[in-house]
Formats: sequence, structure tokens, C-alpha cells
Amino acid sequence: MKMTRKNLSYCVLVFATGMLFACNKDKVETDTTYPTIDLGIAGASPVQCAVVERGKPFVFKAKFSDNKALGSYSLDIHHNFDHHTHSTEVKACEEDAVKVPVTPMLYIKDYAIPAGRREFVATTEIDIPAHVDAGDYHFMIRLTDQEGWQTMRGISIKIK
Amino acid sequence: MSRLFVCCLLFIGFSSILHAQSSQLSGRVLLQGVPVPNAMVHVDSTFYTTTDQHGVFTFQAIPYGQYVLYVRHTGLQLFSKRLQLCKAIHYEQDITLAWQLTTLHGIAVHESVSTKKVQESAMNLTIVQSDFIRKNLGGSLMQSLDKLPGVKSIGIGAGNSKPLIRGLGFNQVMVVENGVKHEGQQWGADHGLEIDQFAAGQVEIIKGPASFMYGPDAIGGAIDIKPISLPLAHTMGGTIDLAGKSNNGQWAASGYFYVRTNRWFLTGRFSLSEYGDFRVPADTVHVYSYAVPLYKQHVRNTAGKERNIHLSTGWLGKKLASIFYISRVYNKSGFFANAHGLEPRRVNHNLHDRSSRDIQMPAQEVTHHKIINKTTFNLQQHHIEWQNGFQHNFREEFNHYVNHGYMPPVYPTNRATPATLERSYKKSVFTTALKDEWKVGQHQFTIGANAEWQHNQIDGWSFLIPAFTQWQGGLYVYDKWRVNNQVILHGALRYDLGRIKIEEYADWFPSAIIENGDTSQQYLVRSTAISRRFASLNWSVGISYEPGRVFMKANLGSSFRMPIAKELGANGVNYHYFRYEKGDATLSPERSYQADISLGWKDEKMHITVSPFFNYFPNYIYLNPTSAHDYRYGAGNQVFYYAQSEVVRYGAEMQAQYSFSQQFEATLAAEYLYNEQLSGAKKGYTIPFTPPPSALLSLQYNIPFKQGMKDTYVGVEYRAVAAQNRVVPPERKTPSYQLFGFNAGTAIRCQEQTINIHLQIKNLFNTRYLDHTSFYRLIELPEMGRNIVLSLQVPFTWRKRSEEAKGS
Repeated sequence: MKMTRKNLSYCVLVFATGMLFACNKDKVETDTTYPTIDLGIAGASPVQCAVVERGKPFVFKAKFSDNKALGSYSLDIHHNFDHHTHSTEVKACEEDAVKVPVTPMLYIKDYAIPAGRREFVATTEIDIPAHVDAGDYHFMIRLTDQEGWQTMRGISIKIK
Repeated sequence: MSRLFVCCLLFIGFSSILHAQSSQLSGRVLLQGVPVPNAMVHVDSTFYTTTDQHGVFTFQAIPYGQYVLYVRHTGLQLFSKRLQLCKAIHYEQDITLAWQLTTLHGIAVHESVSTKKVQESAMNLTIVQSDFIRKNLGGSLMQSLDKLPGVKSIGIGAGNSKPLIRGLGFNQVMVVENGVKHEGQQWGADHGLEIDQFAAGQVEIIKGPASFMYGPDAIGGAIDIKPISLPLAHTMGGTIDLAGKSNNGQWAASGYFYVRTNRWFLTGRFSLSEYGDFRVPADTVHVYSYAVPLYKQHVRNTAGKERNIHLSTGWLGKKLASIFYISRVYNKSGFFANAHGLEPRRVNHNLHDRSSRDIQMPAQEVTHHKIINKTTFNLQQHHIEWQNGFQHNFREEFNHYVNHGYMPPVYPTNRATPATLERSYKKSVFTTALKDEWKVGQHQFTIGANAEWQHNQIDGWSFLIPAFTQWQGGLYVYDKWRVNNQVILHGALRYDLGRIKIEEYADWFPSAIIENGDTSQQYLVRSTAISRRFASLNWSVGISYEPGRVFMKANLGSSFRMPIAKELGANGVNYHYFRYEKGDATLSPERSYQADISLGWKDEKMHITVSPFFNYFPNYIYLNPTSAHDYRYGAGNQVFYYAQSEVVRYGAEMQAQYSFSQQFEATLAAEYLYNEQLSGAKKGYTIPFTPPPSALLSLQYNIPFKQGMKDTYVGVEYRAVAAQNRVVPPERKTPSYQLFGFNAGTAIRCQEQTINIHLQIKNLFNTRYLDHTSFYRLIELPEMGRNIVLSLQVPFTWRKRSEEAKGS
């Protein structure tokens, strides 16, 4: 069995054409835009360094937007008594002294956004129980769009 | 294409065991007129022998045909020559070896045996020697190799990185050291390879599926790190390597010694390195919109250290040789303190900025032990190799306790796991591999089998990957058929079996779960016990054709990869990325088909190679981000789940070298890669870690000093990297950048020794840029600023050899 020069060039040609075909595919436009969380609208809450009171309901309000379609959002309130983590915001807040948590507030919940919305103003009431520790907390907002791009904001708040 | 298939498949089965006539081949090996005993002489990779006291070698019976004769010896240049055996007695005239003083020019490799191997391989193979690593010394082995087109790294900090071959990395690229698969790099992007770059003698890089020779994980390619070649008989000596880097104040020292009697040898290497925080051209970086001031532009807490020991010893007989390699690689390094993954963290700047060389938390510490034995037998026509290895990888990640999600606000004092141990992994691996190479006519056959068993344990207050036990075994056959002087055909078939058993894992803390309005405290099961079996048949066919100045290689092959524990069993939050990762126990083994071509031209002045490839995955395993959040298992984080999608990938590398004159030469290396998912939730998107197109132009002037110095060069480099705008969540678009570099080096002849000196200035203009495949890309941390790297290699030898040779 002998491989001729002709055979060989044939093989090469097939390889090369295969590659060319593969390269000629139409490209699909993909969404690469992150959704945005706007805490600048009237009545937006909480803003950086906000103070909320124990035993009283607190209303979260923010405007979400995306170029295509929003996905869902999630809220999370956790203590920052140890000052180990910081918020995502530029402005720094005055903080209490570092302390050991006893019964810190912990709130984790995910929320749906009606399908296909490019803009959505979220308003949610959150109970701040009367027995939780007062002090520095983080209020985390996580927002996704339909494709899975996620934007996060971590706001420093104080519970008193 | 079907015709090629049929052609090539036929070759695999076609093995005519003709009773060929044979020839007695002998010759003599000399160095400066003195016979060289114990030089390794081999004909192709089939017949092996060593020279005797008089430098003479003899092969009794080699079938008539065309071969390549190789002569190799430590410290001497490799010799190779094409042979035509057609007489009963064939005597090779005196073969004169030369001292090895080769310095690599630009990025091309000039070593004869390596070049031969590269040319004869149908796959896209690149081989670099240890002097290439010394000349381009980076913080870690992969960073030292990233001038090669198609080879990039996923870096974290100055001293850690893992390989990325044509955009595939992690478990899709196999790393082999001293013949045994290196285990321990599959955990995450923030872990590097536990490899001592000073101990690497030669590195072979295969771009594309290499499963048939290496096993399942080599789906995207393989990096095969070979030891430094064996010492000469009756010699004793060593080398001292010293290196310094200005950017992070790194110093490295590596001492190597060897001693050999006629048959016994012993080598040892001790490598030490320490480095401080690396510096970036920025006074402030932004983690999200939070401004983090950098003290003296230091990336806080990225210092580290390495301590490595290697020993090898063995007996080298004519028919049998057995070598043990024992090593311990240890490194400890800090992570950027202001962001652990994507989590912005506040740290005590006074504590951290007191010294740029201390390692605070968060930090990682890893110790990797290896014991490998390689035994070879030469029985008539057969060259048999048996390798056994044991590895132990122990990695710990230290961090202050942070009560993410439902974790208790204060870390309980009664837990055995310390509050500072975020995660630890303990991995034990046993491997064995047997192969036999022999030649029948113009066919060179290899059959082999290998098996691996590994056990993985976990600890720490944070959970990412369940504990698991895994075994894998494979069988392969490979035929290399030298059809004529110009054409070599390759065909291979491999069958693999594997099994993974994942252990159950439940949280050590309860979560508040609301069901039907009632809140209950539950210890969530993060990973259920899973047992899966996998099997796969893979093949590869290829051709290398070298009619003259033009050369051509083509290869078509398949590969597979078993899903890893986290892909099957993950069910927890990765707080490095704030994502809830969900495994899928039903994933099928990942498969890949790839066509590779290399076309080239070479003459005295020019050398050019273009290597396009086309790759198709019917079921690429991908961590898909969704629009959902999960409060129960995900503690409010975004849900990511492992899914499989069709992926097409293609691209090309180009490498060209042109000598304007004896002194002046230019090298251009360029690469392009396109990835696209053809199905699934992210149809139309790329896959993560796709490097943007880039080009590297090097100009080198070789200064011809008459006396004292050899291989003296000065050079400049220009690297242009395009923007990467094709991203998939959670990646970010990365802008383009340009970098300049300078390098110079020389070899000073000092009595019988040659001292090699290399100087590099990386990022000459202290350019601020982002690397798309860096771990710190997501937090917009710029890459290392200007870095002056000086490396020095001083050999010392007590050559008893020539006296022995004279005396005998």
C-alpha cells in the first residue's frame, strides 16, 4: 500500500476546506450588558449609610433596568460588626466599634421579576425584628438579567 | 475526509510481519578526539544501547530500512543523523559530539532531536529546553512559557498560574511530570501548578487532544515536563541557578548536583524562592466602585515562598535501567487581601503595609510529594517502560471566618476545624503505566496500559467540592509508519474506563428553611453520594509529510474527559464569585473532535509555520449562569448549574523567523482563537477564558565576540493584544494593550565552564493593562508593572570521565 502524492494533496484539500466552511458561520449577536440597580430615584431605599429602626417595617425600593430583559433579584441583610467586609459604595459611613454578634439580623430572600421587563421598580417590605442586635449591617442587592449577567450592590446601613 | 479516514484506519490494522534482512550497526562516539563512554545511542525510539569504555556502540540486528540515529549525553549536544541500512554490516564513521552551548533564539527551538520529534509528529507539538525557560524566566513555569503561540496561563499573583492551551485549561489540559500525570490542579482558578521550573529539563507542549497517549484529561492538550538528562558515567558536578526579579523583590536559588559511577547515579536539587507583594502601575484599584488605595503600588498580601527538594537515583544497565524520582514541592502565598475572589474585604492596612514580604490571611499553602519509579527493559526488538508513581497533594486555604449565608455569626469553639481554615484538600494518587515499543519493518508500534486511583478528602468551614474516590484505566495501541523518506503516518486507538464515587456532605450549620409557612432549622445536604462509571473509545490518525523545504502535518482525533467531582456533585455557594454552583450527576463524559494542520517552509534564512485547527465538542461541560437566585441552598446567590452544550472552536497560530544576516534576526508569533456555543442556554456565546488575538514580535541581534563570550545577544520585544469583546457571564470585556520588553544574555567561558546570564525587562514602559485570563481580571486588578529579571547559571564539574577513559 503506497500513499501517492495525489492522495495526499486530496487529504490536505479536504482538511483545509473543512476549516474554511467552519469559519464562515454567521455570528449571533449576544447580550453582554449588565443590568443596573438605580438607588437614585425618588424614595429609593436604603441609601448608603441609611439608619433603620428595629421593630418597624422597612421598605426596600430601587429601580432595576436592563437592555433586554431582567431576571430576578435577591436581598440579603447581614451584620458587619467585625468590619471584615466593606460595601461596594464610594462613600464610607461612620461605624460603631467592633463587637461580637449575639442575635444579629439575617435576612435572605430571592424575588422574581415579571418576565420580559426592561425596567422594574422593586418595592418590598422587610420586617426588622425588635430583638435583633443593633449595629452596622450590610444590605446586599443582587440583580440578574435573563442571560445571567449579575450586578451587585452592597450598602452599609445601621440598625438602631 | 472519509477517504483519509479509511486510509489511515487501514494503516492501524496493517502490520506486515515480514521477515526482513537485518544489519549490524556500529560506530564510535568522540568528544574533542576522546572517546565518550556511556553515551545513550538509539535508533528511532526502538533500539537502544550505550557506548562502551572506548566510545564504541554496536547493534546486533536492525532490520533493513530508513532510520534516524541519535546520540545523547548530558552536557553535550544531541546528535542525530538519517541512516539507510541495506548492508549486513554498517559502520558509522566517528561521531563527534560538541559541548552543549546552545542558546535559543527568539522562540524557535534549534535542538536536533527535538526538532526531529516535532517534525515527525502529526500533532501540534512544541518542545522547549531548559535554557528557554531560563531565558524567559517568569514567576511560574507557565508564565515562562507564555511566549509560545497558543499557550497562555490563568494566573493568580506573581507565583501561581495554570496552563491554558488554545483557551482550554483546568482539567482539560493534562500536565505530566517525569512520565506521571500531575494531580492537584483541578480545584479552581486560584491554584497554580506545584512544579519547580528549575527542575524541568525539557517541556513538550501538545496543542489539541492528546488523549491517546496521555489519557482522558488531555482533551485540550498536554504539557509533558521531562527531567534533566542523565549525567555522564564517572562524573560528578552540578549547577547553581540564581535569579532575581525587581517587581516583587523575588530571589530564587536552585542548586543541583549529580554523581555517577559507571552504572549508578544520584542527583539532587534544592530550590528556594521568596518574593514580596507584586507591584502594579496604579495607586488605587476599584473593587466594584469601592476604592482600594495601594500602598506604594503593592498588591497587598501577594507575597509568597517556595521550598523544593528533588532527588533521583538509579541504576543504568544495558538491558535494564531503573530510576527513582522523589520530590517535595512546597509553596505558600497570599491572596490579594482587599478582595477574596469577588468579595470586597476591608483589611487592617497598618498590619498589611508594615511589610511587603509577610504572608497574612487570606493565604494558601500547598505541599506536593511525589515518588516515581521508571524502569525500562530492552529485550531484543522491544523497548519496555514501566512507570509507577505515588503523589500526595495537601492544600490548605487560610482565611478569617466570615459567616456567609446561614453560617453562625460566631464560629463555634467546639469544632475540630480551626476557624482560620477556610478549605483544605488532601489528595492521594497511585498511578501505574506500562508500555512496549517495537519495530516491524517500517512500522513502529507502541502498546500501553495505564491505571490511576485517587482518594480525595476535604476539610474547612467553607464547602466547594465533595470528597471523592476515583479510578481510571486505559489501553492503547499506536502505529507510526514511515512510508518513505518523506511521509510518516500515525494511527492510534485507545479505550478507557473510569469510575468516580462521590461522598455525601452536609452543612455543619443549620439553615432556616421556610416550608408551608413554617421555618425549620435544617442541616442541608450539599452533596449526595454518587457513583458513576464512564467508558470511551478514542482514536487519532495523522500524517507528517516533509518533501523538502515545505513541510506539512495533519491530524484528526478524538478525546474524552470524565466529569470531575464538582461538575457532578457541587451544591454549594462559591463565595469567591458569589454564586451558587449546582452540579449535575447525569453529565455524560465530555468528548472532543479536532482537526489540526501545520504547514511550513524553511530554508537557511526563513522558517515559517502556520497551524490552523478546528475543534468540535458535542457536549462541552460548562457552568451556566442563570437569571435565578436561590435562598435555600444558595443563600440568596445567583444560580449557576453545570450543563453541556455543543461548542465549536477554531483558530490558528503562526510562527515565523527570518534571519536578515548572521547577526540579526526577527521572530513573529501570532495566535487567533474563536469559540462559540452552538446549543444550550448560552447559544451564540463564547466559552470562558478565551484569550484575545495577539502577536509577539521579537528582534534579536547576536553580538559576535571573538573571545571569552559566546551566544551574546540583545533583543527587543513587542506584544500586541487585541481587545476581547466576546464574553460570557460573568466575564468582563477586556481592552487591548501593547507591551514592550528588552532582553540580553551571554555565555561566559570560564576555564572549562560556561556561565549563562540572561537579563529581561518585562513591561518596559510600566504599562497598565488587564489580562483577560487572569484570576484578578474580574476585580479590574491591573497586571504586574515593569519587572527586571536577571538569571544566572553557573555549572561546576569535576570531570573524571576523560581520565577514566584514557586509563581503561
